[in-house]
Amino acid sequence: MKRTPDEERVLERMAPGVLSRDGFLGADPRPLNEILATDQAEVDGLGVTHAAIAARLRAVLLAARDAFGRSVPVGEGLSAVYHEAMGRIPSPWPGEGVFPKGEIELADQRSGHTICYTPLSVHLIEAHGFYEGRGSRYRLEPSEICRMLGLGEASA
Amino acid sequence: MIAQTAGAEGTSLGYLMLILLSATFTDNILLTRFLGMCSFLSISQQLKSAVGLGVAVVFVTTITGALNAALYKYAIVPANEHFGVPLGLQFIVFIVVIAGVVQLLEMLIERVSLSLYYALGIFLPLITVNCAILGACLFLVNLGFHRNLLEATMFSFGSGFGWMLAIVAMAGIRSKLKNQYIPLGLQGPGITLIITGIIALAFIGFSGMVQLAK
Amino acid sequence: MITVLAATLLVAGVSAVLAAILLVAERRLVAYGTCTIDINQGARTLEVEGGGTLLASLMANRIFIPSACGGRGTCAYCKVKVLEGAGPLGPTEEPLLSKEEVAANVRISCQCKVRQNVRIEIPEHLFSVKEYRARVETISDLTHDIKLLRIRLLDPDTLEFVAGQYVQLQAPAYGDNPDPVYRAYSMASPPSDSHVIELIIRLVPGGICTTWVFEMLKEGDEVLLNGPYGDFRLSDSQREMIWIAGGSGMAPFWSIIRHMDEKGIARKCTYFFGANKKRDMFLVDEFRAIEKKHDWFTFVPALSDPAAGSDWDGERGLITEVVDRRVEAGGEKEGYLCGSPGLINAAIKIIKAKGVPENCIYYDKFE
Repeated sequence: MKRTPDEERVLERMAPGVLSRDGFLGADPRPLNEILATDQAEVDGLGVTHAAIAARLRAVLLAARDAFGRSVPVGEGLSAVYHEAMGRIPSPWPGEGVFPKGEIELADQRSGHTICYTPLSVHLIEAHGFYEGRGSRYRLEPSEICRMLGLGEASA
Repeated sequence: MIAQTAGAEGTSLGYLMLILLSATFTDNILLTRFLGMCSFLSISQQLKSAVGLGVAVVFVTTITGALNAALYKYAIVPANEHFGVPLGLQFIVFIVVIAGVVQLLEMLIERVSLSLYYALGIFLPLITVNCAILGACLFLVNLGFHRNLLEATMFSFGSGFGWMLAIVAMAGIRSKLKNQYIPLGLQGPGITLIITGIIALAFIGFSGMVQLAK
Repeated sequence: MITVLAATLLVAGVSAVLAAILLVAERRLVAYGTCTIDINQGARTLEVEGGGTLLASLMANRIFIPSACGGRGTCAYCKVKVLEGAGPLGPTEEPLLSKEEVAANVRISCQCKVRQNVRIEIPEHLFSVKEYRARVETISDLTHDIKLLRIRLLDPDTLEFVAGQYVQLQAPAYGDNPDPVYRAYSMASPPSDSHVIELIIRLVPGGICTTWVFEMLKEGDEVLLNGPYGDFRLSDSQREMIWIAGGSGMAPFWSIIRHMDEKGIARKCTYFFGANKKRDMFLVDEFRAIEKKHDWFTFVPALSDPAAGSDWDGERGLITEVVDRRVEAGGEKEGYLCGSPGLINAAIKIIKAKGVPENCIYYDKFE
């Protein structure tokens, strides 16, 4: 499928070794459009919006950030730690600015499950509905986050 | 019904206009002949890229159409008559010319006008293999326009312009559809092809209005 | 037979003519000749081969504009003011510049090609930035995820800098990374020893440069770096200072305090350094030694999450809480901050609340 020059540029920036060591697409063999479409469908099916998910993730991020590396409780049975780093990383979509590096670990004490995401992840979800490719360290499965955060129908 | 004559009297302005009309609307290279679909399907999402690509296609089609018509008339046909070279050689020669012209055009545009280069220069590599351009060259040979270079140029321009109108129309429709509900299975290429089909159906209404057989 | 010959000749002929036209066109159209770059109204003038990017042309002439991504148009650090000759704004530059920057003729120099004579303006201090070939003398562990690099400069063999400045270290292409990248690290060594610099580097998960430093860099390896950059340094005033840092933000303060110690700069200063657990704390003994030596310096390390039963005898709590407890009126003081964006924002809030005037608060923004 032919791509516009803008799409080409975004894909180049998502490759490993350009903005971050592992890139944004993990080991996912699917094209970007398909990843976005599939996640969009999943989010729609759960009865939530990207904005709502991003807002909750951002709230967790801010709560964890104020604790400077200490674990904080962020909801029922959930705790988060923000491991900050000093650098900045640009968004793969050009012109969206730079974002703080570092990662937030959100742990569900009930299931023992943890997910990892970054301030850039929150922006990408909000602005593009992009949850990163499968196999990426910061890949968030919409159904999983909704279940953890108690959003949408998954929480029922 | 617009009647016309087979080019008996050569190139009157009226006849040239007829060629333009035919190439652009009634025999639209994309909606009637279904050529140039792949970049049409993928680049028609944004109006800005669609216009950029459309203008690039018009440029390239017009220039290569004229060049290839001349080449056909003054090189391939004589070679065929004197040496028995098959006319099918046009396929190779046309494609080589298209590739070369695109390269040249890219360099020229970058040199002459940087803003124009930024607007559409990036699309040029995309259209080298656009089958609509080769198609336009082959059709003009089929319809005999190579005998008169003015007619050939007009036909090529019309083909390119018709392609551009189609992609810009599609981009406009798709931007309007952005926030509408489309079933998952039809999103992307699916709905685009359906829309293309519906527009093409409308264009069938034009068929037979202008006949340009020579 | 003659048909085959004629056909081949026809195709070959057309291709050859086209190729010839393209070659001539390339030579005449793509060549831009020699162009001059006028810097800072004639302070320096360069003659460069036209057609290259502004950044590459400047770097080829040993003028180093800060750049983290090595000219790929992703980091937006290489902004340069081009007064004339830059041509229209390119599509790769547009998304990276604000409206005010575009109005002020600021361009992304790695995306802007030099096709004619240009006049540019760059900050004065960039003239003293050089590229250095250096060798890693020692790599030591400060904590489980922070290393100290001691780097000896080879060519040029001295680096003059002001305590608090930073260099850009080049991580070469390795593994999946196709191109080298540059990352900024503050110098932790005092300026007095100009043949050696020390860098404090903390591992960032998935970071291109820090992964290379932690997994591949060995003592004795040669590295490339350029600098010095940065405005973070002691001010000219005599105001009492509050320093706040966390993690690898320690580096500039380790440089500044040793510089103050060597040169006898006896300005009253309290240094608040925050870490999570005892294993994240480092250089405590060294700072305590300086604290004992000088009565103008107070060192306040704090752990925000010490393990139960830890023998930590220093302050406990978030560093901002500790600052809140220990600092009284801030109206006559200055603040120096170095750390992650979250820490800096929180620290600014707390010292402003204590009365430190906004123009007396210093930190490196890295935006």
